[in-house]
Amino acid sequence: MTTLAWDQTGDRVYETGVDHGVLYIPDNTGAYINGYAWNGLTTITESPSGAEANPQYADNIKYLNLYSAEQFGGTIEAFTYPDEWAQCDGSATPEPGVAIGQQPRHTFGLCYRTKVGNDLTGAEYGYKLHLIYGATAAPSEKAYATVNDSPEALAFSWAITTIPVDVPGYKPTASLTIDSTKVDATALAALEDFLYGTVGSDPSLPSPTDVLALFAGTITTVTPTMPTFNSGTHTITIPAVTGVTYKILGEVATAGAVVITQDTVVTAVPNTGYKFPAIVDRDWFYDYV
Amino acid sequence: MAPRVDLQTLLEEALGTSNVYFQPPASVQIQYPCIVYARDNAITQFADDRPYSYTKRYQATVIDRNPDSLIPDKIAALPMSIFDRYFSADNLHHDVFKLYF
Repeated sequence: MTTLAWDQTGDRVYETGVDHGVLYIPDNTGAYINGYAWNGLTTITESPSGAEANPQYADNIKYLNLYSAEQFGGTIEAFTYPDEWAQCDGSATPEPGVAIGQQPRHTFGLCYRTKVGNDLTGAEYGYKLHLIYGATAAPSEKAYATVNDSPEALAFSWAITTIPVDVPGYKPTASLTIDSTKVDATALAALEDFLYGTVGSDPSLPSPTDVLALFAGTITTVTPTMPTFNSGTHTITIPAVTGVTYKILGEVATAGAVVITQDTVVTAVPNTGYKFPAIVDRDWFYDYV
Repeated sequence: MAPRVDLQTLLEEALGTSNVYFQPPASVQIQYPCIVYARDNAITQFADDRPYSYTKRYQATVIDRNPDSLIPDKIAALPMSIFDRYFSADNLHHDVFKLYF
């Protein structure tokens, strides 16, 4: 039998801070394979909504509650934003440095880190990784104000809504949280290799299915094979490698011969349930001469 | 955060002479009109769990025998400058400003 005790040494846990923001832009297939560091992050407010009770009455009593679907939304506040954020904020950039407003808003993924502290080690006890999927930013106010006697940077703020993505065995979700104090350190390091990139791989946001596979230990490491190229016929031969998808200009390329008509980059991405080694060649340039 | 020497240049341009003194020791022979300035405070804004921007504030005092001197007006026109107070001592007129640079 156990007697409950409160506020023991080491049990006084709290959460604080926000940093390591990363913006992920999905490609044509919906994979979040491009990550960009988000500097100047000041506040992220998670504001889930829905799950409201709708009481039903029968037999002169409250018979049951029916609940509406829960949705994930929130607010991002920052002093600045990555250049790639423009497409998510309704801007198109036909030329470098030229932005056109009121354009379609691209969906995005987001990752950020919050600290977990306790009474023994302070705020360095651990951290939580928050992964957001299928997000869209709403138009937001930007209150440019005169410089005055007190230097203050303009604080940008965006309200976001999300569309949940599938998670096998669970309801679709738009948010995942990973607690470093509870998960396997090796799997966490592998996840961070995905999220923040490595010497051989770009930052990417793995799907919830991949994240769960990482921590369940069921993810397989696979090394992509370099496609072969015949410069005489301008033909790239895409290899068939289990667990690897090859893409040309963001479009999936099936295994076999592909005749190119211009300089071409072939990129390999791991399929769900697979990951690449930390250092691996995953994109190849083919010169059309 | 610009280097202090840039502020020195800015104040010398406003004054029209090089009688601009940064935290002068008591042994320095002050020439009037002049500007005496010193570090006063700083403001820090935080992001990503760390200081994101840091701006120093200076207290600049315009000292002139002329009560109608135009030098304080020039200091008041600098960005992020605000008049703090005025006092007179030893027949010298002091206009104190706070400015971020």
